Amino acid sequence: MRNIIVCLKVVPKSENIIFDPVTKRLDRSKAENQINEADKTAIEIALRVREKQGGRVILISMGPPLFENFLKLGVAMGADDAILLSDRNFGGADTYPTALVLSTAIAQIGDYDLVLAGEESSDAALGQLPGQIAEFLDIPQVLFASSVEADAGKLRVRRRIRGGHEVVETSLPAMVSVEMGAVQPRFPDFKKMKRALSQFHLTVWSSRDLGLREEVTGNKGSFTFVRGLSEITPIRRKKVFIEGDVAEKSTQLAELLRERQRS
Amino acid sequence: MTRKEIWVIVERNEDEIEDVSLEILGKLTVLAKSSGYKVVGIVLGTSNESVLRDVIRYGADKVILMKHERLNEYSNDLYSKVLFDLASSEFPTALLIGATYYGRDLAGRLAARLRTGLTANAINLKMDEEGLLVFGVPAYGGKIMAEIVCERARPQMSTVRPGTFTKFFDQDRKGEIVEVIPDLSSIQDRVRVIERKVTKSKDLTKSERTIVGGNGIGGDLSMVRRLAELTNSDVGVTRPLADKGLAPRDLQVGTTGYSLKSRLTLILGVSGSEHFTSGIRDCGTVISVDIDKESEIFNHSDYCVVGDVAEIVPAVIKKLEEKR
Repeated sequence: MRNIIVCLKVVPKSENIIFDPVTKRLDRSKAENQINEADKTAIEIALRVREKQGGRVILISMGPPLFENFLKLGVAMGADDAILLSDRNFGGADTYPTALVLSTAIAQIGDYDLVLAGEESSDAALGQLPGQIAEFLDIPQVLFASSVEADAGKLRVRRRIRGGHEVVETSLPAMVSVEMGAVQPRFPDFKKMKRALSQFHLTVWSSRDLGLREEVTGNKGSFTFVRGLSEITPIRRKKVFIEGDVAEKSTQLAELLRERQRS
Repeated sequence: MTRKEIWVIVERNEDEIEDVSLEILGKLTVLAKSSGYKVVGIVLGTSNESVLRDVIRYGADKVILMKHERLNEYSNDLYSKVLFDLASSEFPTALLIGATYYGRDLAGRLAARLRTGLTANAINLKMDEEGLLVFGVPAYGGKIMAEIVCERARPQMSTVRPGTFTKFFDQDRKGEIVEVIPDLSSIQDRVRVIERKVTKSKDLTKSERTIVGGNGIGGDLSMVRRLAELTNSDVGVTRPLADKGLAPRDLQVGTTGYSLKSRLTLILGVSGSEHFTSGIRDCGTVISVDIDKESEIFNHSDYCVVGDVAEIVPAVIKKLEEKR
């Protein structure tokens, strides 16, 4: 197997993001960051493919320097190399220039058989990058995969469809997006973590390294813009508490269910 | 020059049109009426006329049939080729796709090839004074709605979350049907389906009565299933349960799953993150059981029961079994 490239994103934990309804701004300062869970699943799949078929697992991510340590975390999970795609001009990107930057980096790494990513990020939950990356690289895509087997220059993937699944086969190289929870991602190895932090040299590529003009990346290269944010106001509910011990509560609950069944 | 047309990719399973496609058509009949845009349904594959007529009855002004046997089943390579060719010669102002598995699979590649912006999982759709579409999408776990616009490229593209909009139907509605026979001779499908396993699962967006289980049910759905049986309800789950594989994604309620419109919804052991509660906004009566009396879910409920699901639910089951 040639290179196995995993695209990952670092995301804030959404519980910790505060929306100010007056300024209509998001305060992310209290949010803790983490590798997007589905992307971790993709790293695990990559490592398992490597165990059987060989190859090198290379992580890439587009983001600010604070992503560095998360890429190192991925190296401590067992990845062979990691590249951060970081540039001021990359800021404010929607998925189009993001896919452009990632696919340009993948092409630059070259010699790849498999590109993996999580099915979607937990913060934006768009799930459209993998298809865009596949298009820019002109390779086939299989999205929402729950298992990936590579053999004899072919890929056999089980993917989620409405009401069930399909097993599909495709040629290599291919882009696969991985369903969160498809496999349990391993924990970073303690020794590898120490090495990742002290000895591993993370590569950083800027727009110049990728040969991308400023106007095709980041905010300038984007097609969609957020015009406004609004709070989704909760629906007013009665919020009547049913009191009593377990027997009383369950009697009333059974009554409610039965009554509403008739109406 | 773009045409004053908004396209909807009509997803179907043979003669059965996906609800989300009809829901988008329904929403557009309202939008288009005031703005003078034409609503166009795009059907791929071979099709009998009744399906095409239905697309019109559900709100399209025009149907384009991309007629080819190789398009009868979804294929990323073939669909993106055919739709790219059509859209880049006809220039619709917008192109909308249901956020199903196939729809989401298609949207990314097609948008990239068309060099245009793509919005995902819209739950709201408006048109501003200049005729620009404004897509409302849930962000940050659904507590915020972001309004997204695509000003400098066409078509304006978005996927639309199933269960969001209301269908329209007019038996006598008339419209134009156009047949196009695409040339697929030069294109190979690089992904080959070897096996397909589909169980006819309940479409949760149509469920009248739903019982939803979350982390508080203790990792086993059998109790929830039994209660659902006794009350003639359907079973739904939260994302963590679907992630664990306890239930298929088709039963997942919330931001990245389905929105419920049930008359009665019973929610068991769910803490009530925004990811989840955005999926129960349109429900009728909501009843919740959770062990934590401060649980956020109670702010989204009409009737609240504080208690251990593992105690309450078996007791309710027993009561319902006795009185059958």
